[in-house]
Amino acid sequence: MGLAKLVVRILAVIGKELVEVFRRPGAVLSLILGPFIILAVFGVGYQGVKKDLRTVVVVDPSSNLPKDVGTYQSLAVRGLAIVDVTSDRRAAEQRLRLGDIDLVIVPPPDAVASIEAGKQADVAVIIDVTDPVEANYAGFLAETMSAAVNREIYRLGAEQGKAYAITIGGRDLSNIPPDIIASPTRAVLINLSPVQPSIVGFYGPAALALVLQHMAVTLIALSIVRERTSGALDRFRSSPMRATEVVIGKVVAFGLLGSAIAAISVWLLVSVLGVPMLGSLAGIALVIGLLLIASLGLGLLISVISDSERQAVQLSLLTLLASMFFSGFVLRIEEFQPAVQVAAYALPVTHGIALLQEQMLSGSISHAWQLFALAGIAAVLLTLSWILVRRELRPE
Amino acid sequence: MAGVTKRFNDHEVVSNLDLEIPAGTVVGIVGPSGSGKTTTIRMVTGSLGPTSGTIEVLGQRPDRFSRATRERMGYMPQIFSLYPDLTVLENVDFAASLFGLILWRRYRRRRAVLELLDLWSVRRRRAGQLSGGMKRRLELAAALVHEPRLLILDEPTAGIDPLLRRTIWDEIHRLRESGVTALVTTQYVTEAEECNLVALISDGHLIAFGTPDELRRAALGGEVLEVTTKGLFDAAALANSAGVLGVRQTGPRDFRLVVENAGTASADVVQALTAAGGEVESVREVRPSFEEVFSELVERDRVQREAPDPASRPDSSEAA
Repeated sequence: MGLAKLVVRILAVIGKELVEVFRRPGAVLSLILGPFIILAVFGVGYQGVKKDLRTVVVVDPSSNLPKDVGTYQSLAVRGLAIVDVTSDRRAAEQRLRLGDIDLVIVPPPDAVASIEAGKQADVAVIIDVTDPVEANYAGFLAETMSAAVNREIYRLGAEQGKAYAITIGGRDLSNIPPDIIASPTRAVLINLSPVQPSIVGFYGPAALALVLQHMAVTLIALSIVRERTSGALDRFRSSPMRATEVVIGKVVAFGLLGSAIAAISVWLLVSVLGVPMLGSLAGIALVIGLLLIASLGLGLLISVISDSERQAVQLSLLTLLASMFFSGFVLRIEEFQPAVQVAAYALPVTHGIALLQEQMLSGSISHAWQLFALAGIAAVLLTLSWILVRRELRPE
Repeated sequence: MAGVTKRFNDHEVVSNLDLEIPAGTVVGIVGPSGSGKTTTIRMVTGSLGPTSGTIEVLGQRPDRFSRATRERMGYMPQIFSLYPDLTVLENVDFAASLFGLILWRRYRRRRAVLELLDLWSVRRRRAGQLSGGMKRRLELAAALVHEPRLLILDEPTAGIDPLLRRTIWDEIHRLRESGVTALVTTQYVTEAEECNLVALISDGHLIAFGTPDELRRAALGGEVLEVTTKGLFDAAALANSAGVLGVRQTGPRDFRLVVENAGTASADVVQALTAAGGEVESVREVRPSFEEVFSELVERDRVQREAPDPASRPDSSEAA
């Protein structure tokens, strides 16, 4: 009889939570369609290709370097669009500040003299950006540009050397094109991934993990805080309801809801956005299940330490913000300081993103420890929040 | 409850409260807003623990209530704490489930209790769309659905119309007849008449505890006769008459007498008044309203607490 009553109480909490959610169809629709629409807009709207940097070359009037745009356009590396050649460096820098152009390149006035003197000639690359990623990108292009210039110097040298080799009866060297002598090797990129990298393909599973965590955290946190502020917890205190039944009921209810939303989202990702699905359904279900349980534990914890709906929402949003920065969603975790990496790995979504991406895009899990880490986080958070909910249901 | 005190930080909300509630009675805790009624109720339900003192409900301390004991209790909080997005039926069903009612019993009870409180016709309406009175009735339904033996109602009639208040009190009386014990708070002092026993509380102090009649006697010192004479009469002339406990002149020809027993004292009063040269126009027993009783007891308690010297306490015979 006791067990039957326990089941009745847990089922009551599950039913109540689900009915409450579905009584607000707008909220349900936004829960399911919201993440999908955002991802679709991101995938369709984001080109994934950086636009060429509008570049002006400043050539000193005394220099022997060519002064026509065409020559530099033929030399320019991918990513740079030579729009002008000028001798007025100050005017070029002013255009840079005004945002008319993105880059100013100032070759040395007399590169040959520097080389003959045994010194490297400096090619100045001037930018005006505050975004570190953009600055890195410009630096990368400058290095590439420098390599292209070096190659051109090699090519000219090789051309002269070839004429010399013919006159002294050199061997097959004369048959080798100067381009090959200047660039004897070339890089060929080989990607071992079974799928072609794509923005939606890569970020789809990550966005799903992020959305599932946020949804689970917010729903369960608000549910408990609302019951506290409405006085419903007082009703629980004076009833035979125990903390275990409250926690199980809410975790099961929002777990079921999250699973349904995850299933619909995965289907939309695969069938509509074309995200690869190389893993097994069971593997993906396992990852999503663990992620949801750990996230619900986190939400319960937030609900216990929040004394109002506003605070619960703020803490949920802070969790989302932390997850965006530290989960590997945007920046690689390895790029953070070790202490921050520990905090990053304490977030359920960090493991959720890595495991979902592996499952969907590689079809296997190469870092199985993350599964155990996710299960461990779920166990710790649920136990902690159960203890706190139990304390809350005791007399004040 | 024995010597129960509850403090929030340094503020004492309930002070040294002693209260014993016999089974099968309706006990009202009456007092103005902020007097400590809800805190007392919450300590009884186990939601709040006392700072000092002991509480025993149904043979157990509230902080150690077993599930079986909780199943015998029904609690209606002061504020609406059900779920606005659930229908009336779903809310009552959820409340029944909290107490572990199995499906068929739940179906039977929720219908019975909703019909009883005239909510069956709106059972599919969401709780958030109900009127204030309907919400109170829904709260009461949620407290009654599992057929508790001890019913704890925190201001069940607050903010609802007199007709509905009558319905709710009728239901409480019906429950008492079936053996239910009810502990009810109210800020309507006139509702004290509805209770078998009344605890008057003010500023967290128990001012008086007893039946409504006992409280009336305690406040006024006895029963009250209202006398009107045909001509001017100084009522002080009757102060030492046999059976007269107190005298208060209320007009040139009107005065009130506090007597031991109104039924037997009337004839003696007429005789004494005639002997004193007066001529009686009318003598009738009056039952002072509970508002008067409450005001008198609160005022007397205030005077007593402000003047701890026993010699300065007013004589109860002067109260009428």
